[in-house]
Amino acid sequence: MTPETEIADERSAAPSRKWPVAAAVIALIGLGDSIYLTAHHYTAEPVPCSLIEGCESVLTSAYAEFAGLPLALYGAIAYFAAFSLAVLAAFGDTRMWRLFAVLAFLMAAFSGYLIYVQGALIGAFCQFCLLSALTSFTLFVIALASRPWR
Amino acid sequence: MADKTKPQPKSNAPMLIIGLVLIVGAVAGWYLLTKPKAPTAANNSNTAAANSNAANPKTATIPANAPPGANPPNQAGSPNALVTVEEFADFQCGSCASVHPVMNEIKAYYGSKIRFVFRNFPLPMHDKAYDAAVAAEAAGNQGKFWDMQNLLFSNQKAWASSPTYKTMFKEYAQKIGLDVTKWENDMIATMTKSRVDADIERGKGVNINATPTLYINGVPFQFAEMQAAPLKAAIDAELKKVGEGAAPNPAANSAPANANAAK
Repeated sequence: MTPETEIADERSAAPSRKWPVAAAVIALIGLGDSIYLTAHHYTAEPVPCSLIEGCESVLTSAYAEFAGLPLALYGAIAYFAAFSLAVLAAFGDTRMWRLFAVLAFLMAAFSGYLIYVQGALIGAFCQFCLLSALTSFTLFVIALASRPWR
Repeated sequence: MADKTKPQPKSNAPMLIIGLVLIVGAVAGWYLLTKPKAPTAANNSNTAAANSNAANPKTATIPANAPPGANPPNQAGSPNALVTVEEFADFQCGSCASVHPVMNEIKAYYGSKIRFVFRNFPLPMHDKAYDAAVAAEAAGNQGKFWDMQNLLFSNQKAWASSPTYKTMFKEYAQKIGLDVTKWENDMIATMTKSRVDADIERGKGVNINATPTLYINGVPFQFAEMQAAPLKAAIDAELKKVGEGAAPNPAANSAPANANAAK
């Protein structure tokens, strides 16, 4: 039960490095998107409320904040956590990969809810929010594809 | 712990990567938050040129045969003024609320020199905008349209996200001294709604696709320019144009433009 054998065990148990590495890259995209959206939330110059372009309608809606903070900020934290877990997993920590899978599931579920909010409650879609949904769904698919329960 | 004294490069690497991303992310966020705003045409005093340059191809001049809208419209200033400033707005639209103080300033500054018309154009995606428009029209039945309009815009954030927004409208009605019972009856009256609908028809007739949309004597005025100074410049120019009468001299027109720029 030396640390070396433990690490070796975890390595061999780790399904493959490619999944965590891919997840880390996708999480970085999501992180960048969330950081952009967070900054946008605070600095956005007003634009007209448009029937055609929905982004501002979404970002200025009552649903864009939770507990006084922009949703995008929570997104940035979640993506940073997902990235960190993926990096740790890429270096062989299987437990972190399982945590990643749980987080990816939660993020994908919340993204699904946000798509519902945009479609059904606001009636407009924001491409940067949809990108975030895409990245979180991708993270979840990566987590599933790696079969973390093995 | 003995382990601590023994450096483990492999276990440091992920932390280095994570730390690096944290720093880069924080710096990027900080940069985005603090970077100077892109200069807009609004800072440009040459409004007419900026307006024609930035002319939104989707927003055209109001055609003469456009639906008339609510009659009489909600208007301030003089009904007989030669310059009409017509705003189409949605009470639930954040940008409409943000330009609202500018519109108030314009109304106060020009007084009876212009006719300021407010048109309801509640966008379908804003679930409470239509009710807000009706609330303002119902207040208008008691001569207090503008008081209600002011309260709706200045408290927009509060009621727009509240499921009890109708109760809040009622509080506003009390606040501005309306006969609340009459106001409530007017809220559900077809007459009141038909005024909102007539404004919407007019908006659709002139192909409004965003709010606020502003017209000066039927010519669209860009949203990016909707600040006091550029708007006043445009209205002044229009007042001058209509004041000069029916025989404008092109040669004479260019000289005052220069003098204006030099002021």
